[in-house]
Amino acid sequence: MQRFLDPAVLASISSLDLVAKTVVDGFVSGLHRSPDFGFSQEFAEYRPYVQGDDLRHVDWNLYARTERCYLKRYEGDTNSQLTILLDASNSMQYGSRRPTKADYARYIAASLFYLAIRNQRDAAGVIVFDDEVRDYVQPSTRQGQLSCLFATLDRAEPRSRTDFSKPLRHFQSLLHRRGIIIVISDFYEEPESIVRALESLRYKGNDVVLFHVLDPEEVQPKLRAPAILVDLESDQKIEVIPEYVNSTYREKIQDHIATIRSKAQSAGLEYELVRTDQPLDAVLREYLTLRRAGA
Amino acid sequence: MGFLAPWFLAGIVMLGVPIFVHLLRKHVSTPRPVSSLMFFERGTQSSTKHRRLRYMFLFALRLLIVLLVVLAFANPFLRRRAAADQSLLLIVLDNSFSMRSGTHFADAKTQAIQLLASKPRSQRAQVIALGGQSQILTEPTQDINQLKTAIDNIHAGDGHASFADLTRSIRTLAESNPGPMELHLFSDAQRTAMPDNFSEAVLPSAVELTLHSVTKDSAAPNWTVEGLTAPTDLTDPNDPAVSRVKAILTGFATPKTEKTVSLIVNGNVVSNKKLKVASNGRMPVEFSPISVEYGFNRCEIRVDGDDALPADNAARFVIRRTDPQRVLFVHSATDQRSVTYFAAALNAASRGAYILQPINAEQATDIDPTKFAFTVLADATKLPSIFQHTLEQYVSRGGNVLITLGLNAERQVKIPLWNGSIQGVQSFAASGAASVGQVDFTFPVLEQQQPGRENGGWSGTRIWYAISVDPAGARVAASLYNGTPLVLERRVGEGHVLLFTSGFDGVTNDLPLQPVFVAFVDKAAKYLSGSGELSGAKIVDSFVQLRSSPATSDKAATVEVIDPEGTRPLSLNEARTAQTLRLARAGFYQIRFANGRDAMVGVNPDRRESDLTPITPEMRSLWTGSNTDQAFGPKDVTAEIKYQPLSLWWYFMLLALAVAVTEAFFSTRYLKTDREEI
Repeated sequence: MQRFLDPAVLASISSLDLVAKTVVDGFVSGLHRSPDFGFSQEFAEYRPYVQGDDLRHVDWNLYARTERCYLKRYEGDTNSQLTILLDASNSMQYGSRRPTKADYARYIAASLFYLAIRNQRDAAGVIVFDDEVRDYVQPSTRQGQLSCLFATLDRAEPRSRTDFSKPLRHFQSLLHRRGIIIVISDFYEEPESIVRALESLRYKGNDVVLFHVLDPEEVQPKLRAPAILVDLESDQKIEVIPEYVNSTYREKIQDHIATIRSKAQSAGLEYELVRTDQPLDAVLREYLTLRRAGA
Repeated sequence: MGFLAPWFLAGIVMLGVPIFVHLLRKHVSTPRPVSSLMFFERGTQSSTKHRRLRYMFLFALRLLIVLLVVLAFANPFLRRRAAADQSLLLIVLDNSFSMRSGTHFADAKTQAIQLLASKPRSQRAQVIALGGQSQILTEPTQDINQLKTAIDNIHAGDGHASFADLTRSIRTLAESNPGPMELHLFSDAQRTAMPDNFSEAVLPSAVELTLHSVTKDSAAPNWTVEGLTAPTDLTDPNDPAVSRVKAILTGFATPKTEKTVSLIVNGNVVSNKKLKVASNGRMPVEFSPISVEYGFNRCEIRVDGDDALPADNAARFVIRRTDPQRVLFVHSATDQRSVTYFAAALNAASRGAYILQPINAEQATDIDPTKFAFTVLADATKLPSIFQHTLEQYVSRGGNVLITLGLNAERQVKIPLWNGSIQGVQSFAASGAASVGQVDFTFPVLEQQQPGRENGGWSGTRIWYAISVDPAGARVAASLYNGTPLVLERRVGEGHVLLFTSGFDGVTNDLPLQPVFVAFVDKAAKYLSGSGELSGAKIVDSFVQLRSSPATSDKAATVEVIDPEGTRPLSLNEARTAQTLRLARAGFYQIRFANGRDAMVGVNPDRRESDLTPITPEMRSLWTGSNTDQAFGPKDVTAEIKYQPLSLWWYFMLLALAVAVTEAFFSTRYLKTDREEI
């Protein structure tokens, strides 16, 4: 399975739907061998009846035997709505190796769309943003939704710069129904502003997941000589020395990650650091876990 | 080590390429994109340093490649001494008088020692000092200590260097040592040391000459006093005809200036003269009369001021003031004319220095010749036996006698004091007259510097009558056209017997009527009286005859010599046996001859040493056999050693290849790293 989920292998596949199919099929076939996870229309649990529950879900056979009302619940018996907020700013085009962060983010998004629509029959949509909302596909399960989503992902070439506060207003207006919101970004902003911008989504009952996509070279950079660095978003140039990059920078980026993780968890947001050299199964697993928990 | 194609060394500028690549180009490296500069801080202070440090090894390799390739193209070679083991190294150190100028001698000695230090241990070497005469100081040896000691013991002398003498010495050495020889001459290379005939300085083909000149190509200004003319004996200081000293003040490469010339007698300045001398000029100076005391007077003519060679600013000479000396003139009863002619000539020449005492031979029985400066036997072939015996003893103890043979001689069988019989009479009356043929102008009595076409004035002399004697054991100084000896000299004991085979009477010849007769009588008087040796001036490396004949017994009289430094240069054995003394030092020598006479001689360096002009570069090239002009002046003497080049370009190229492979390996690693970083 790992071979099909390896980002380097996926980077050689040009078609996003093929990437998504490869990832998800490989992931699913791996899950079949796992005793700990399962899905489809299977019995999940009994829950005591409370007032207001739908009587259609009462297990009358159990009631006949025990004279108690229990509701019988099944996995996936409810359709969820998946909305992915994809960061398409210029910083996402960085990559010390293939794939770049933008490509990796699209693989994630494509895989999640495929998993959601084909396997879970969930509605899936996407919002592509940088410092504003560039593209929006409303979540849906209709025929052709997956192709529409893949096309949107194909168009999501990085440009401009990241700004969570400006497109947030659009998020609020576009997201009417509760669901799973996955934000895929490199989060090069202050953690407070990120969390502040996204926690309102959580307040509306959404399960918000932050996929923090970083290149390995961004987490643990190796610099042997002084170099001139150019900011992909602002085009600003500075000269840095290896001592700083190999020590202070690493501490700062780790602090940044830890701060985002901490503040996100404090705000009820799920946070997952994803490096572009990692297989994509962790991402898919996180989604299923959330979906199951949300159900 | 050297380069056969040194112009390729200009390629060293290519070293700038790696420098540019590593230092300059790195500064303008391509910026690296990052997602955000949010966590980066500017840091530029040590950037250059770290770049250089990081690629220093690669940088060094690239520099080395360029350097090795450039060196390979320049074709380096290792200078290996050519046949060093077989060749004989001749170290010739010039210690002539001119080397006293400045630090020339010290520089030459230092260079010689440097050359010796660079000599391979297996090579034999020999040290020669080139002063007044070439002195071979060591045998061919490999012992550096012995050679160095020999060089250390060479001191600046007062002699005149002659490259012709050196060449003769080297030729002699080459005959005994047939192998190749490397001749290293450390000298100021004076022009005056080179013989007029260059062929005399041509070295044998097996000798390779390297000239280490310690001078520059131009002569330093130098003054000297030359052309000294002074009386050796002075009887009347007030006679201006004889009581005067002449000299010539000469400047070599000197500017126009005014100089003061002083006459110093016994350390006291007795007269000064100011002279205006043109540039490179010669100016005569004369001091007259001369006030001197009885006995030997040490005199100098000194020019003031300092110059390149201060030691030659004085000319030394000795004037002996004496009363007029008596000359015993013994003549036959029939010869009265000889007295007249001889007395007239002697008086004209010596101006009262000699008083002639004529006496008939028959009256000479009780005469003691030792009371006279010398004795003349004018046609006095028959002497009283007592006087003859006295004369023989007188001569054997150092007395000198002049014998003339007149008409009375033909009646005798033997000549008094002359160990030889009369062989016959040469009468030329029938054929007119005989002329004088060969004349030895180096003989003191006949000495002339430039005899001229008329045979020094002797060609006009007509000889009508001469006695033929056996010349065995005698020196023939002049002879008639038919070979009949005319002037002969024989040493008897410590004395000399001078024989004129004709007469002074004006009958047997017309010599007394010839101008040359006065000069002949003058020189004969000086020679026979010994005044020529007793005082005056000589040049360094001239010889003084201490005794007439070799000492044959232990009872031989000793001579005593005190040199200018106040030491006795002769050992006791030498004082008993030495016949001659070489005047090796400049200054005043005090000499007591074997015949008991005392003398004092002023010795001056050869004035050719005062001209410090070096030989021309063309002459230098011609002499050393080199087509390249060698620069004058001090330089690294070890560079003058002849070497055989061993080309190294191939090794340099191999090394460059090896370094290139190493560089490729490391640069690949670096580039790989760079890609990862980007």
